[in-house]
Amino acid sequence: MTRPSFFGLILIAPALAMIAALFLYPLGFSLVSAFTVPGGGFSLTHFEKAIDLYSTDILFTLFIVILSTLLTAAISIAIAGALTLGETPWLIASLRFLYRWPLFIPFIVAAQCMRTFLAKNGLMNNSLVAMGVLEPLQTTSFLDWRGIVITFVWKQVPFVTLMLAGAMASIDRATIEAGRNLGASRLRVLFEIVLPQVTQTLLVGLVLSFVTMLSVLSVPMMVAGSQPTMMTVDMAFRINSYGDYATANALGVISYAIAGAVAWIYLRHNVKREVGA
Amino acid sequence: MDHSAFPAIDIDRLHVSYGSQPVLHGVNLSVAAGEFIAILGSSGCGKTTLLRTIAGFQKATDGAIRLFGRDVVNMPPEKRGMAMMFQSYALWPHMTVLGNVGYGLRLRGIARDEIRQRVAAILKMLNLSGLEDRKVTNLSGGQRQRVALGRALAIEPEILLLDEPLSNLDAKVRIQLRSEIKSLQNRLGFTAIHVTHDREEAMTMADRIVVMDAGRIAQIGSPKEVFDHPSSPFVASFMGAENTIALDVRPAADGVEVSVENGRSASWNGSGVMGPVTAYFRDDVASLDDPDALIDGSIILPGRITQRTYPGGHYRYVVAIKDRHFTVTDDRYHELDRAVGLRLPLASLHLFPTLETPGETHA
Repeated sequence: MTRPSFFGLILIAPALAMIAALFLYPLGFSLVSAFTVPGGGFSLTHFEKAIDLYSTDILFTLFIVILSTLLTAAISIAIAGALTLGETPWLIASLRFLYRWPLFIPFIVAAQCMRTFLAKNGLMNNSLVAMGVLEPLQTTSFLDWRGIVITFVWKQVPFVTLMLAGAMASIDRATIEAGRNLGASRLRVLFEIVLPQVTQTLLVGLVLSFVTMLSVLSVPMMVAGSQPTMMTVDMAFRINSYGDYATANALGVISYAIAGAVAWIYLRHNVKREVGA
Repeated sequence: MDHSAFPAIDIDRLHVSYGSQPVLHGVNLSVAAGEFIAILGSSGCGKTTLLRTIAGFQKATDGAIRLFGRDVVNMPPEKRGMAMMFQSYALWPHMTVLGNVGYGLRLRGIARDEIRQRVAAILKMLNLSGLEDRKVTNLSGGQRQRVALGRALAIEPEILLLDEPLSNLDAKVRIQLRSEIKSLQNRLGFTAIHVTHDREEAMTMADRIVVMDAGRIAQIGSPKEVFDHPSSPFVASFMGAENTIALDVRPAADGVEVSVENGRSASWNGSGVMGPVTAYFRDDVASLDDPDALIDGSIILPGRITQRTYPGGHYRYVVAIKDRHFTVTDDRYHELDRAVGLRLPLASLHLFPTLETPGETHA
């Protein structure tokens, strides 16, 4: 049976070549560049330098991305749950209409909007002052870590909600009704009956969001210019200002490692589920 | 709380609409405590809507639903304190058998150990002992529906709603579970409302049958009443009397004289509707006789045998009378194409005045 596999190889060869040329080669190249010195030998100097200069930023990045992922999860569960279990038709209809909008707005535009919205004299503070919630002297700028988190969550909630609401809509409605029939409130139904049936989808959405947020450059650059900042900004800085690809690549490898750890958590959950089933 | 003074379920002029489409047009039904009611009807008649409105999953547009005298029509489903079984079982796939059956008890704040004990007792009652820690996805259909029954009964409900729970099961398990539910109901004394489109299931399980047609109750009565004395042509044909013939009933010296289109007639000491009537009858009331026989109280329709099958125990014949075909069973063997008389005892026919509407079909 060698012939079919040979033809199969020919069929997938163009796709394989594309992956090799456009993904595997640059990836391998940056990995090699992160672990070698100009002379050619293996070395961890770039990592030492990266950690020496940017360990705060690495921790800051982790903090921002983990916090944003958690907030995204909480808000997405709330919206998808309201869409699935809500009983007020007009409210559900307007929520369904509104929540997807940020999906179609690029990160850089979102960051730009947030700059004017969250600034010390931005729309948010001006509105709060006008409503009498804040005194003009109490206003502070949100253009720091809070601004990044708000922008990330604002941008990623629709994506996770879209996946989650779709998964919730496809579970057997009777399982929801059986829960309420036995006396469970809608909140308990959401957390004890609906959510456990869609954990898989929620995890996929959150892992994808996590990796996306980890790699966004425009938001930390535009929303919070000052130190500490996120690793993507540091990488751009190393390359643009110093032509220092090696340290940038070392930071890149650390990013891979963080993304890889999250993917590992997701895969482990999958395996556990399959064993349990 | 003294329950005895009130019916378990009292439905009062219940109207339900989907948007602007009315589905239930003023349903009145009173169910005594401990009674087993079957709601029977073809699909789209509103029987499932009625059940879902009782459970609280469908909002009523008008009317009242009183459980032991307490109006629940605006109450959310979780406050109504009923239990329900679903056609799709609706077990929670992420929980074990213990988790499913014990969930209602957990909601009521009962301690873990006691839940385990009570679930074990229920599983024993349902012949599922030892399956506590099994995933529900690893059970057969019959076992799943038993777990669903256990989950419903675990909270010791006063009212159990059954939404066609047996229709996804194969015939043998269905009949077995049917008698199990019935005997549990006798033992535990809960009130049950069972929605089904299966006539035999309704007949064998229910104390009273409610036949629904197009969002209204067509007839309420014991299985025997509804079967023997259908109140309308719809109920008659729904209960299996699907054959019709046109007859003419006139007063005679001794009772009435009933004549068929072709001029044959029979005298009968029965009474009831007069004039042109449509007779509804089930296959099993007809029998074969001599085409020229004259029997009081029965009419004979002459025809020919066109088909013969042997399903076991007796022969089944198709008899052609003019352009109509009737099925009849007989113990004797007859040749095809033989002239026979289809004998219909008048007492077993359901007679309703023929409607004067054009396009009335007699098929």
